[in-house]
Amino acid sequence: MPGQKIPKFKDMSITDKIKVYNKPKYVYIPLICQNDTNITVAVKKGDYVFKGSIIGKRKGNFRIPIHSSVSGTVVDFEEKLYLNGEKVKCVVIENDFKEKIEDGYNIRKKISDLTKEEFIEIIKNCGIVGLGGAGFPTYVKYNTNQKIDTLIVNAVECEPYITADHMIIKEKCEETLEAIDAIMEINNIKEGIIAIKKGDNTLKNIINNFIGTYLRIKLVEVPNLYPMGWERELIRRVKKVTYNKLPIEKGIIVNNVSTIYAIYEALKLDKPLIERVVTFTGEMLKQPQNVLVKIGTPASEVIEFIEGYKRNKDIKFIAGGPMMGLALSSDDLIISTNLNCVLVVKDTIDIPPIECLRCGKCVQVCPAKLSPVLIKDRINDTLRLKELECERCVECGLCSYICPSKINVREYVKKAKAHVRGEVN
Amino acid sequence: MKEFHLHTGPYIKDKNRTSKMMFHLLIALIPIIIFSFIKNGVIPFVKDKTDFIGLIYPLIFILISCLTTILTEILYVRICLGKKGHNLKTYIMHSYSIFPGLFLALVLPINTPIYALIIGGIIATIIGKMLYGGFGNNIFNPALIGCLFVMTIYGGVISTNGGYLNSYEIDTISSATPLSNVALVDGIGTYNTLVRPYGSLWDFFLGTIPGALGETSALFCILGFIYLTITKVIKWKIPVIYVATVFAITYMIGSMHGLGIWYPLFQILSGGLMFGAIFMATDPVTSPTTPIGQVLYGLFLGILTVIFRYLTPYPEGVLTSILTMNMFVFILDRIGSKARFNFNKSILSFFLAWALILLIGCYIGNTFVKEDETDNKDPNFEIVSKNVVDKVVTYTVTQKGFSGKIKARIVIDDGLIKTIDILEQNDSYFQKIIDANYIDKLIREQETIEKVDTISGVTISSTAVKKMVINTLADYKESGYAE
Repeated sequence: MPGQKIPKFKDMSITDKIKVYNKPKYVYIPLICQNDTNITVAVKKGDYVFKGSIIGKRKGNFRIPIHSSVSGTVVDFEEKLYLNGEKVKCVVIENDFKEKIEDGYNIRKKISDLTKEEFIEIIKNCGIVGLGGAGFPTYVKYNTNQKIDTLIVNAVECEPYITADHMIIKEKCEETLEAIDAIMEINNIKEGIIAIKKGDNTLKNIINNFIGTYLRIKLVEVPNLYPMGWERELIRRVKKVTYNKLPIEKGIIVNNVSTIYAIYEALKLDKPLIERVVTFTGEMLKQPQNVLVKIGTPASEVIEFIEGYKRNKDIKFIAGGPMMGLALSSDDLIISTNLNCVLVVKDTIDIPPIECLRCGKCVQVCPAKLSPVLIKDRINDTLRLKELECERCVECGLCSYICPSKINVREYVKKAKAHVRGEVN
Repeated sequence: MKEFHLHTGPYIKDKNRTSKMMFHLLIALIPIIIFSFIKNGVIPFVKDKTDFIGLIYPLIFILISCLTTILTEILYVRICLGKKGHNLKTYIMHSYSIFPGLFLALVLPINTPIYALIIGGIIATIIGKMLYGGFGNNIFNPALIGCLFVMTIYGGVISTNGGYLNSYEIDTISSATPLSNVALVDGIGTYNTLVRPYGSLWDFFLGTIPGALGETSALFCILGFIYLTITKVIKWKIPVIYVATVFAITYMIGSMHGLGIWYPLFQILSGGLMFGAIFMATDPVTSPTTPIGQVLYGLFLGILTVIFRYLTPYPEGVLTSILTMNMFVFILDRIGSKARFNFNKSILSFFLAWALILLIGCYIGNTFVKEDETDNKDPNFEIVSKNVVDKVVTYTVTQKGFSGKIKARIVIDDGLIKTIDILEQNDSYFQKIIDANYIDKLIREQETIEKVDTISGVTISSTAVKKMVINTLADYKESGYAE
């Protein structure tokens, strides 16, 4: 059985309510979408922008806009640290703290009355993307001629430490359910499923309190394994089907809880995606908690806002969760839409890897059904690597996690992936 | 200024480590070592068959073997790889050199001379492990390489010393290991010939039968298996499938002859199959890593073991099967890795395995004859000619020996054997029978011929000669020449 039980470390960040930090002096809106920096910039230095004004638009197929998260003046364009460890061009906006909105929010009373075309138009114009980490434009999933039978709301959040989705359900359960119901109504979806981890009784009770009025929405518990939140694995568990490329082949759409809440705000208030809940956590933060932050806020400011670090030395600053995240050399990270967690942990001395024992544990746990040990053996043999289908790797990190010889197996598989792709191009 | 450390993720790791797994393996082996000590040291001592040295000899034997492999590896790393001091220490720490030695001692008979053991340990470490690049890179199971070497070169010496029998068993049990008995009867055998000489199947399960130092007790092997499966140290699929395959084929063979469930049980409980399946076939380095690969590995191990046991003169089969299959691990892994995406890619290999299982079961079941329990005629015995002059009968007879038939002329006068002349035989160790004056002894003690001890080292052939004489006498009596 693929998947693995791993420690959770979630308790530390769910004691407080979601805090709001909306006072950054400058925001740095990254001009990037799904690692694509091919963005048309719509503003220039000195322009005044409102909160929610479009400052850029992605070129190519998925033309979704990028919005300003504050009202103020564009002062500069600057390269800033992005969660993939690289510097990315950002629009620097000086906050005038007036939170001015161009047209004002017009609250829509009944969001389920929208037509499918209106719905797609709204979530497209609001720039809603998947907030689970991939950052895939959400409207594309719904913009299909295929019949959608099932909407799975991913509340599994299988990666340790991260609790953003958990907190959103805890505090915004009603709104989330309303959004799910509306999406189902608009798109004529018959079945709605909220997937949570087995044994997560807090969430179960909260959802059960509200779910009574929504007869079409079911609560489904999935095993508490990593990476259960991965779309493919989740669908396999919940619906017992596998698909080839996209879940829509089987009439299934998966959205995570944060995304659903962003859709709710977009439908209700026409509010674009300009803020999100990020989990700031780890043993080396004084007060681990979830914070609602504006896109473009530097992470260092937020950390200061929540009392800062326990110590300044021998720590790791990780963008993302402990399994899939990346340690960065500076906390000057810009909060982007696809960042769900900032993790600060002790720098433990890494155990040096020893010779592979060939125990086969990496093969056993791989959710993508790869054979990492064999990929590692044949790292230079492109032909065999293709045969091993290493491009299926989702980089969940389970192989490195499980390895008793402490070999960073994932790095080998990543290398193999690059190798095969290089050969193809 | 804050300092952030960079590493590639993941940033949490499982607590399990290779050293922990190896520790579990050691724990699982301790009951087996203790059992071996009791069986080969304590019991003979209590029965007054040996002295104090004999009491602790099994432990000394194991210790020497372990020390040999550890020291060989240290020397090899120091001299050939040029590692010194701290480097040497970390290398040895992570190379687990005790295991080849430990396993080698456990799969060898107690009568292996110490010098052969030491040479075996050196061969196991250098040829079996270090020449491939050390821990993690070897293709063959090092301990089995050492064992194969010792059994090939020193097999004769070991047999002379008493073979698999310890000092207590040598006086109580006449024939070597249960499986060498199988080779002897050249048929399927019966409960009386296979199991009875050693007690019951219960003795097989507990391990109070002759055999290598550590591989007789199925009970402790199974306990070790359970422990190692719970602690997730071994690839549990391999031993389960391996033993099940041997059981299935031998059950088929047995039921073709109307033998009960005891027959397949006898097969899986003897010849170190349990120990080999649980501890040797699951050696992580030399077994497949993919689940389908492991299943196929188990299936083919079972098939090969049956083939070796029935169709070659080497009755044990486990060691040779594992070493043979070691060579095919990379192919099985290749099939296994493809089968993860599409199970149909492995269908052909499964089909081959099923076909082989059926084929071998039917073939052996049909070609091997069953000893007839009601008629005492020995199927291996044949009278070529007899020349009757009054009460003197000159027989020319053959009896199946270790390799081929033994042909002899036996003259019986008035119910008493006068001469036995061996005309033909193909056993290269046959000289030992002559050296031991075995034939004279048979003539001398013909009144109590059943009690004449066979010659160790040529157990099979000497037993055959004895049987030949007994069969000839029986024929003389039956035909009524004495009257």
